[in-house]
Amino acid sequence: MIRTALKTIFAHKLRLALTAMSVVLGVGFIAGTFIFTDTIDNTFGDLFEDVFAGQDVIVQGETEFDVGFAGPPPMPAEVLDIVEAVPGVEAAEGSVGGFAVIYDNDGEAIVPTGPPTLGGSWSDDDRLAGNVELREGRRSVGPNEVVIDAATADGNSLALGNVVQIQTPTGVNEYEIVGIVGFGESDNLAGATFAAFDLETAQALFDLEGQLSTIVVLAEDGVSPDLLRSNIAQALPEGVEAVTAADEAEAQSEALSDSLGFLRTALLVFALVAVFVATFIIQNTFRIIVRQRQRELALMRAVGATPSQVVWMVVIEAVMVGVFASIIGILFGFVVASGLTGAMSAAGFDLPSSTAPLAIRTIVIGLTVGIVVTVLSALLPAIRASKIPPVAALQDTEVTLRMSDRRRTLVGVVGLVFGGALMAAGLFVASFQIGPINELLAIGIGSLFVFLSVSLLSSLIVKPVARFLGWPLPKLDHLTGTLATENTVRKPRRTATTASALMIGLALVAFFFILGDSIKASAGSAIEEGLRADYVVSVDGFSGGFSPSLGEHLAEEPEISDVTFLRFGFWDREGSDEFLMAVDTETIDETIFLDVQTGSVAALTDGGVLVFDTIADEEGWILGDTVAMGLAATGLQQVEIVGTFAESNVVQANFLVGEKFYSENFSGFGTDLDFVLAVKAADGVAPDAARAVVENAAAEYANVTVRDQVEYRQSQEDQVNTILIMFNALLGLAVIIAVFGITNTLALSVFERTREIGLLRAVGMSRRQIRRMVRWEAIIVAIIGSLLGIVVGLVFGVAVTGALSSQGINVLSIPAVQIIGLVLFGAFAGLIAAILPARKASRLNILEAISYE
Amino acid sequence: MTTSTVPVDLAAARMEQGIKTYGSGGAEVRALDSINVAFEKGQFTALMGPSGSGKSTLLHCIAGLDTLTSGRVFVGATELNTLSDKDLTLLRRKKVGFVFQAFNLIPTLTARENILLPLLIAGDDHDTAWFDQVVGILGLGDRLTHRPSELSGGQQQRVAAARALVARPEIIFADEPSGNLDSKSAAELLGFLRRAVREFGQTIVMVTHDPVAASYADHVVFLEDGHTVGELNDPTADSVIDRMKQFGG
Ligand SMILES: Nc1ncnc2c1ncn2[C@@H]1O[C@H](COP(=O)(O)OP(=O)(O)OP(=O)(O)O)[C@@H](O)[C@H]1O
Ligand SMILES: [Mg+2]
Repeated sequence: MIRTALKTIFAHKLRLALTAMSVVLGVGFIAGTFIFTDTIDNTFGDLFEDVFAGQDVIVQGETEFDVGFAGPPPMPAEVLDIVEAVPGVEAAEGSVGGFAVIYDNDGEAIVPTGPPTLGGSWSDDDRLAGNVELREGRRSVGPNEVVIDAATADGNSLALGNVVQIQTPTGVNEYEIVGIVGFGESDNLAGATFAAFDLETAQALFDLEGQLSTIVVLAEDGVSPDLLRSNIAQALPEGVEAVTAADEAEAQSEALSDSLGFLRTALLVFALVAVFVATFIIQNTFRIIVRQRQRELALMRAVGATPSQVVWMVVIEAVMVGVFASIIGILFGFVVASGLTGAMSAAGFDLPSSTAPLAIRTIVIGLTVGIVVTVLSALLPAIRASKIPPVAALQDTEVTLRMSDRRRTLVGVVGLVFGGALMAAGLFVASFQIGPINELLAIGIGSLFVFLSVSLLSSLIVKPVARFLGWPLPKLDHLTGTLATENTVRKPRRTATTASALMIGLALVAFFFILGDSIKASAGSAIEEGLRADYVVSVDGFSGGFSPSLGEHLAEEPEISDVTFLRFGFWDREGSDEFLMAVDTETIDETIFLDVQTGSVAALTDGGVLVFDTIADEEGWILGDTVAMGLAATGLQQVEIVGTFAESNVVQANFLVGEKFYSENFSGFGTDLDFVLAVKAADGVAPDAARAVVENAAAEYANVTVRDQVEYRQSQEDQVNTILIMFNALLGLAVIIAVFGITNTLALSVFERTREIGLLRAVGMSRRQIRRMVRWEAIIVAIIGSLLGIVVGLVFGVAVTGALSSQGINVLSIPAVQIIGLVLFGAFAGLIAAILPARKASRLNILEAISYE
Repeated sequence: MTTSTVPVDLAAARMEQGIKTYGSGGAEVRALDSINVAFEKGQFTALMGPSGSGKSTLLHCIAGLDTLTSGRVFVGATELNTLSDKDLTLLRRKKVGFVFQAFNLIPTLTARENILLPLLIAGDDHDTAWFDQVVGILGLGDRLTHRPSELSGGQQQRVAAARALVARPEIIFADEPSGNLDSKSAAELLGFLRRAVREFGQTIVMVTHDPVAASYADHVVFLEDGHTVGELNDPTADSVIDRMKQFGG
């Protein structure tokens, strides 16, 4: 039986290739996601091991909550004396670290997208320097010298002796480069820029006089790091902890892995969409194959094969296709992974280009998904095949084994209602949870059911829709148009499944279009209302922030009446990361309209928190209640709610605190920096003059951009657009699989209609006309798919936008141009899909075709 | 008048020194072996011969569906050997009609559209009077909106015949058109083909194994081993049977 299956597989190489292609792409996406994230994991794992090389124990401020990248709070410098006095300590050294942006020779900030801009102090003891090595020059000494990393130096033509500008939390200053460092083999720390000063200078620059960020400790010979750690821990004051270097390396690498977890999950979701689309294609292919082999299978039944043997024959073929395609898919994963790396670096995220070795987990998951999906997709057609009566071998007539229209309608409607209800529950029922199914899963599973049901039901409407779409064709293109239209309705189920595969991808694209457009429209109108300031100064990329000295400077200018800063902070809200903004309570009323519902902004001056009213409603919080905030620096705090606000589009946070609370409870990387400045010009100052003042001041802080209201709105839209492009690119693979599906179905249909095409050629149809006929068919199928996709996407878009209205997305905007563009795109995809089958059809040998059985 | 001696200007189609070989080396098959044959305009010719004698091959090569290994083929004054694939397609569309043994019709098109197929392909208008006349004679008037699957085998072959006729080609080739029909349907179809020749001056060449079918023709040409081995004018079923015995067919 295996041999029979193998024979049929190799007898139809093209069919095999096309079927396998959809599995290859789906599995490739999954494998690629794992390879890609493994690579990042590996690189950072190695990196952290190296960073702590040679060190035994790390002493640092204690954090009860690990949130964001806040890092541990600083400790008093005296802790160093305590540590040095502990027996077993060979050497110990304190250091500080923080934010430092290096400017290039043109005064532009060198800001990598993703990795941070690090500054820090030197280690005077080489034994404690980790893998930091001086490559050129010497160590920096005093307030005017700096050492920078080799990658930044090489990439920006900075050399020993050059004077560079560097921005730190305390402002922008000039320094002479006296040394260049590397980190073991590599020229920088995973893409971060690095500027090193002597300890005293660094403490001043990072506003950490008399304090230390970390103390690294080397153990005496024969003293184990674990023993030393517990000895030190006993000596340490409250609020400071000791960990072994090995544990710290692991913890940091794990924290990074966790933050990658989101990326991995997101990519896998898109990969699963691709696989889901692939199941449609495989199922269709096997259904057509079974149909074409109906007589052969019936003959086998006639000569004594049992129905289950017939099922096995089809399933074995599926297993072989699945194995073959999964193996290629896993290999294709490397291509996907390097594509993802490329896409990330194109988007500005610099990632290592080396590839991780293939993990066993990737192989197992890839093979499992590939084989299971192929076999499951083939199972239904296989079971149908086994029901072919043996007499079918003797008849030329087709045996229809399809579900009756009534049953199809019933199953489809039930599925649609169930899926729709599940989605609605996930969207609209607050904190929905049934067993393991939470809101997101409910939406996911619900949409799965919706897609399957729409696909099932769509075969019922294929006929009228295809006839409607094909209606102008005969006028355009006489006979070929008629034939193409008729061909699409011959096997409505086949057409429906093929179109449905395209529907899924395009429905999600349409959905993202609508959601994105609604977000843009909502944010746009909200910004118009909410932004009272004339200019917004915000930080570029991911460089964390900019020195507050810019805001202080601007506030003194006569052309400027008010400057409001926003600062960023992470905290722990019942176990998950949440963020807040610290605002300048004195000026915010002049620059940003918060639409305060209860309490007041002024109340923030003495502490407390302002909560976005939707969140307050959800939680049942009212004025005077407390929020439990887990803070990295000060632990769990019960913070009083001093007000609620309804307009969050400018502050972009659900929680607002005042400067006092912020400075008392936040510390670490970036928390001493401004994130955004809202700047209002003084009355009577011409916009040009005011802007010139802001631009001038900002020029010194090279990592910021000044925008007026219109530009600010545009920049918010651009952000949404970037995400849209990313999502749509990730959906691209699902769409490509669907296009392959059209190709596959058409190729199989052409094969099935060999005699017909031969006859058309015999009575005088040209090759060109044959090609046109196949093309029109593909276009009709593709447009049906696009239209279905748009309908489903519209429903999803309207529903999700409705569900998000409490989140401030209160304008439903449907981008008509993009939606119409999708239909055109669908038609174009059909055209591309038709190339191969059209060529195949037009090249059929007429004689073979008319004598074909 | 014998078929191989038809004057050039009276021939609707002819083949000179036609050779068609399949395969090569030891496995070579000569389906046509230096054959000379011509089909006179306005005549109904039957091609007979044992299975494998090259009848279908002759038909395919002369109709531009296949090409000769060597030799020349003419339809009217047009020499086929020099034609491009595109011109051959045009030739089949305009100058040649076909009726095959089975699978003559496009299942997605109605009888009417199937009949008009060559004209639809060309994008030409049809002559309504002529269409009505053909359909009327064939008794298909009430079947025009039906799909092939809704027609009987005899009706399907009549639709195919109507398709061949409606474009008024220079010559119609029919390869065992009545092979799958019962005797009554066969008689109807053959009678109709003869009428088309007698009343409308159509030229028809038909391959058949059936002496009764051959008796509807004006001439019979006998083929064996890839060349003509004899002819018969004004055949009757009996005279054809006699002749077949002679050739051991
Ligand atoms: N495509 C082909 N490849 C190889 N040989 C072929 C091919 N087509 C025909 N032949 C051979 O050419 C010879 C003539 O075949 P042809 O089909 O013309 O015979 P025929 O007279 O029509 O027979 P029948 O009465 O059985 O239809 C036969 O020997 C046949 O085997
Ligand atoms: Mg034959």
